[in-house]
Amino acid sequence: MTSPEPSAPVPPLSGDTSAVVGWTAALRVMNVTKRFHTGREIVTAVDDVSFDVREGEFLSVIGPSGCGKSTLFKIIGGLLGGFSGEVRVGGRSIQGPHRDIGMVFQEESTFPWRSVLDNVAFPLEASGMGRAERLDRAAHFVSLVGLKGFERRFPSELSGGMRQRVAIARTLAFNPKILLMDEPFAALDEQTRYLLGDKVLQIQQATKQTTLLITHNIGEAVQLSDRVLVMTYRPGRIKAVVEVDLPRPRSDDVITSDAFARHVAGLWRNLKEEASRGLAESEALVSGGAG
Amino acid sequence: MAQGASLAAVVAVWAAVVNARLFPGDIVPSPAAVAGRIVGLALSADFYGHLRVTAAEIAGGLALAAVAGILLGVAIGARPLLRRAYEPWLHYLAPTPKIVFFPVMLMLFGVGAASKVSLATLGAFFPIVLGTISGVREMDPVLVQVGRGFALSPYRMLTMVYVPAIRAALVNAVRLGFGVAVVVVLLAETKLSSAGIGYLIIDAYRHFDMPLLAALVLVLFGLAILANAGLARLARHGAPAVSR
Repeated sequence: MTSPEPSAPVPPLSGDTSAVVGWTAALRVMNVTKRFHTGREIVTAVDDVSFDVREGEFLSVIGPSGCGKSTLFKIIGGLLGGFSGEVRVGGRSIQGPHRDIGMVFQEESTFPWRSVLDNVAFPLEASGMGRAERLDRAAHFVSLVGLKGFERRFPSELSGGMRQRVAIARTLAFNPKILLMDEPFAALDEQTRYLLGDKVLQIQQATKQTTLLITHNIGEAVQLSDRVLVMTYRPGRIKAVVEVDLPRPRSDDVITSDAFARHVAGLWRNLKEEASRGLAESEALVSGGAG
Repeated sequence: MAQGASLAAVVAVWAAVVNARLFPGDIVPSPAAVAGRIVGLALSADFYGHLRVTAAEIAGGLALAAVAGILLGVAIGARPLLRRAYEPWLHYLAPTPKIVFFPVMLMLFGVGAASKVSLATLGAFFPIVLGTISGVREMDPVLVQVGRGFALSPYRMLTMVYVPAIRAALVNAVRLGFGVAVVVVLLAETKLSSAGIGYLIIDAYRHFDMPLLAALVLVLFGLAILANAGLARLARHGAPAVSR
């Protein structure tokens, strides 16, 4: 098998190439730059980032801690303003939270006062859907994430992995055009992370849900994605676009294949330099602070 | 059980003090005399009329204070800049005895119920707005982001995210506000009014009817306990059995 070297940097997509290559962009991020004023200095968290998320695609953005991934997540989700550039959904520039984008957060985000079913029904209730209909729909998504039988339980009675499944089901029930996730598995142990990733992938494949995943986990990015964008450490720029041309479904055979390992190794080569810079900088900060 | 025993002990000491004639009998009446007046109050239609007036004034003031306090508390609590600008002032104003504003309320709203309701609103507002602000400050910020991410309207943010998230803090704040409203309304009724329990108390004092005065105070005490228990029930109602 002669797959192209997965680490080969591809220039970030710019301009409207969709007509040429035959796909449509569900989401376009165009020249987004975000700076934070921290009193003494100006930190550029995201620097001129542009990319498209194709219809039905699973795209991951990977980068070291402190590369501005979460800033990018909040900008695309409409929770953070004051940036330059544009975020477009369905060809229209968006300001603030948008109906077409459903967010899943890294933190524990279920509503502790709502049962599993009522948590998942939350966005439906907020949009004014009647009780019977929304509970019916919510039940569908609860069973989709494999929590059938837990509808009446409260988040405090569930494990962290189950709670994150509730959060994912809640966002899926919102029926967004684009599923936007910020390290949704970061707080979970490795096995749960893998199994839950597989679950999300199954759902995404079945529904052709356009998905944008922010992550720092290389294995996760390779396991789930069609393409992976690699970000640089501060300021966050796009360093490379890597196509993950592994067959689907990503069965255990695929996950344990040499090709999978090559992708992981290729991504790591791309990331290593950035992660090292991040580490060196935070060490300098610590020793500077102590001295 | 222990509460019942302590109550019995207090009544016994009270009866012993009266029997020993440590105080003049017309100043400290016997438990039996006071019990008789409580029964008398319970049987008089007049008393219920006054009770209704006081209850309506407290409830009206508390309701207005709750609406204003919760709305402003969430609006201020959710915005760090507003919080820094307003929270200190609210803290400074909170302990000011609100009865000093009674003359102003009298001039604005007259001698009737409106001046008491407005005073109760003013009194109960501060603990409620401060309790709401601190509740919002302590809530998990990601829950607000979830609500915003789903593009909730401000009204739905309030009713579906903020209020349930800070429910415990809100109930506590309303209970504190209730206590202030009771004090303020009764105090105002004893100053200038023609109806209400406060008016009955000051009227009993004017006629030097000490058994009636004691009976009114005890009835009031009992009612306050009931109302507080009702508010505590409200706190538990609908909340999940286990909390995270």
